[in-house]
Amino acid sequence: MSSRLEADHLYKVFGRRPEAAVERLRQGADREELRADGTTAAVIDASFTVEPGQIFVVMGLSGSGKSTLLRMLNGLLEPTAGHVRFDGQDLTALGARELREVRSKKISMVFQHFALFPHRSVLENAAYGLEVQGVPAAERRERAAAALELAGLAGWEKSWPDELSGGMQQRVGLARALATDAGLLLMDESFSALDPLIRRDMQDQLLELQKKLKKTIVFITHDLNEAMRLGDRVAVMRDGRVVQNGTAEDILVRPADDYVASFTQDVDRSRVLTAGAVMDTDLRGDEADCACETATPDTPFVDLCAMSARLPHPVAVLDEKHALVGVVPRQRLVGFLGDERRTPGQCPGGRTKGVKARA
Amino acid sequence: MPRIPFGDWVNGAVDWLLHHMGWLFDLLKTVFTGTYDGIDAVLQAPEPLLLAGILAVVAFWLRGTAAGVLTFAGFAFIDSLDLWEDAMVTLSLVLVATLIALVVSVPVGIWAARSDRVSAVVRPVLDFMQTLPAMIYLIPAILFFGTGASAGIVATLIFALAPGVRMTELGIRQVDAELVEAAEAFGTAPRATLLRVQLPLALPTVMAGVNQVIMLGLSMAAIAGMVGTGGLGGDVNEAIGQLDVGLGSEAGVAIVILAIYLDRMTGALGTQVSPLGRRAAARARAAQGLRIWSYRPRPAVALVGVVVLALVAGGMGVFGGPATPATAADGQDVGRGRKITIGYIPWDEGVASTFLWKEILERRGYQVEARQFDAGPLYTSLAQGDVDFETDSWLPTTHAEYWKKYGEQLDDLGSWYGPTSLELSVPAYMKGVDSLEDLKGQAGRFGGRITGIESSAGMMGLLKSKVLKAYGLDGEYEVVDSSTPAMLAELKRAYARKQPIVVTLWSPHWAYSDYDLKKLKDPEGAWGKGDGVHTLSRKGFAKDDPVVGKWLKDFELTEKQLTGLEAEINKAGKGRQQDAVRAWLEKNPSVAGELAPVEDSAATTS
Repeated sequence: MSSRLEADHLYKVFGRRPEAAVERLRQGADREELRADGTTAAVIDASFTVEPGQIFVVMGLSGSGKSTLLRMLNGLLEPTAGHVRFDGQDLTALGARELREVRSKKISMVFQHFALFPHRSVLENAAYGLEVQGVPAAERRERAAAALELAGLAGWEKSWPDELSGGMQQRVGLARALATDAGLLLMDESFSALDPLIRRDMQDQLLELQKKLKKTIVFITHDLNEAMRLGDRVAVMRDGRVVQNGTAEDILVRPADDYVASFTQDVDRSRVLTAGAVMDTDLRGDEADCACETATPDTPFVDLCAMSARLPHPVAVLDEKHALVGVVPRQRLVGFLGDERRTPGQCPGGRTKGVKARA
Repeated sequence: MPRIPFGDWVNGAVDWLLHHMGWLFDLLKTVFTGTYDGIDAVLQAPEPLLLAGILAVVAFWLRGTAAGVLTFAGFAFIDSLDLWEDAMVTLSLVLVATLIALVVSVPVGIWAARSDRVSAVVRPVLDFMQTLPAMIYLIPAILFFGTGASAGIVATLIFALAPGVRMTELGIRQVDAELVEAAEAFGTAPRATLLRVQLPLALPTVMAGVNQVIMLGLSMAAIAGMVGTGGLGGDVNEAIGQLDVGLGSEAGVAIVILAIYLDRMTGALGTQVSPLGRRAAARARAAQGLRIWSYRPRPAVALVGVVVLALVAGGMGVFGGPATPATAADGQDVGRGRKITIGYIPWDEGVASTFLWKEILERRGYQVEARQFDAGPLYTSLAQGDVDFETDSWLPTTHAEYWKKYGEQLDDLGSWYGPTSLELSVPAYMKGVDSLEDLKGQAGRFGGRITGIESSAGMMGLLKSKVLKAYGLDGEYEVVDSSTPAMLAELKRAYARKQPIVVTLWSPHWAYSDYDLKKLKDPEGAWGKGDGVHTLSRKGFAKDDPVVGKWLKDFELTEKQLTGLEAEINKAGKGRQQDAVRAWLEKNPSVAGELAPVEDSAATTS
């Protein structure tokens, strides 16, 4: 029941005469040139598609335009140029009233600092979207309570936001977004304000929920680890432009440029990479002929290391039809971990001299 | 620099407004006075202690037992000071002004919060309204709205609007932008965002603004008293005029009690109406546990209490009713209930003659209202026709300025007392100073100062331009401008310590009976001939009511009569002027018949 979201050449320019600025950007002008004139290009020519049921992560540092991009997706900001299509509807063509209708029923949002209404109880907060829709009070309470339960907050309905911890507050924010049954969930750095342990919890819970609910989610973050963990697809933004759009592995294994590559340096590769990404597909054909354990393309890197340690030879990777698709030699595991793709070379100056010197 | 005729422009604008926008001001006046009359009627209707009880129950509900008890004590105290009616007049005035201020300022504040441009325009206007001295817009307020409640309300309003607008704007602007965005993200329409998110969260700040509006309104009450609104402000003005520190502090304390009550109640209401405040209060109570002094009844209980008291009050109002004033005997009922308004400045001869006429005209079947004013507002409202006559104009000299400005719109019904005199006076203990000539060479003794009154007063101009020169004192003495109360206070202080002082004074004046003073002789005649105390009426009053017109034209008192009456009034004290007049008339039984003769000869002895 989820729907497809499409961003089509989106531009957002703040300042005077934004249309003219877009024109200049199309002709290849640079963000800095515009800044000199006092206009700020927040988003430049962003295009992407989010498939139903997908978590699409937009990753970038602050000032890269990711929050602006997100706000154009639900019409909180009007694009200077380009279109947003959702569920077969061009949101950019809608009037204010219809846009509000779409926001209240089809798109909901979770905020960085939770944005809970301090003058409403937890239940009233969760029911807010339904209240805007005009859902009758009894049904509203029921659905909000159900959403709170989904978010793991059953029993806290009568509490007030300021009585909850940060993580719990964000669960209320999540419940508020889920209560409206919107197909599209926009999450704006939703876990950034939480401490690392709680953040992991929330990420796990989001993934857990997503298995059940199959929403279409656009998730904004500045944390690449989070992007890798959550994203079915990850778009990396820099200075208003989408510089790469691919799977987590694409970003990690095939960074589009040095900027993305420099970003990925800090990533814990062992948590992202799978056998499919590291395996060598240049096969002899007999690698799986022994009775040893084998991996699938989805086997996580860490498990692969464990197998490799137990086996006297490279780990064979079989697909679901038990056909051999690749092998993972130990050398390759070490290479990926160290971000080193070259094959091992010779010791400089040969070997004998060193042996002699030692003897 | 060319002289920019800014003042002329303002005059032109005021005239234009008067001629072309009169309907608008009339409409506003109707609204203001209507609201005011309604609230005042409600507040004046019940027995004072019953209303004090109702107010106490409200305090009990909003703030707890202690507040309830103190409220009752405070209002009972006001009643015991005989200031109840005046306090209720002031309370209604402030409530109406607050109500109207909120109706105007909250929407303007909301508008300003949503638009930077509006905010930029509104801010200087608010600064202007708040800092412009009240007296400057009091006179135009009378021109536009006439005297009485509406002018007072307008003056209070102008002063009190600013915090309402400012605090509303501030409250809305400081609501977390992410919350507003969240509301929008869930498809809330702008108006609903305002009602569901911004206003509830801004409410504590808005209520702080309401509180400020009320406090500023009360602080304007004294000034509003100058334009005939009466109430505690009138009492304060009267007390200042008579240098009656006692009465002044009574009225002052009553204002303070009202202020504290309204402050605490609006503060508590602020907590009660805002959901956040309610929660904070509930938590504080839970932490404290149940205590008798902070115990608060449930709203329903409080409501029942208020309703029961209100019903009792209403019932007593119906069955008891105010005692109707004795109607005039047949043959003397000339007025047949017609209304006459007398304006007066709280000067002794004015108070005495005004209440004398009030009593006499009531005996002749008129309904008389005596309204107290400051001099400027009195002439303005007389020219406007809001007041029928006043008895205290010193002409042709002292009040010449007023006569020049308003004379064409007034009728002079002639002098009833005279001649008056202007003089410099010294305490009797100043030996060897008996005449203006004696002041020469004595500057060292008096510190070179002559303590004067308002620089605008006619006699001050005369003193500086003519009298000092005539005796060669102009280089030696400095005339210190102050105000009549300040001059009298200075005199009282010096007199008590037997210090040298020379003051500007005039006769008749009560200072001559309170202190042993010497009027300095004026052998050169520099002060000129004395004034007569004239009765002035609105244009055409004598034609509208020829009988009263004739009585006023024939009105005359001797010095003995006037000082006797003044002494009687001073003895009786504030609020009993008319009783004093009655007592005086008992002792002087022929006066009423002489002043207001009726055809029926039997009436002369009434």
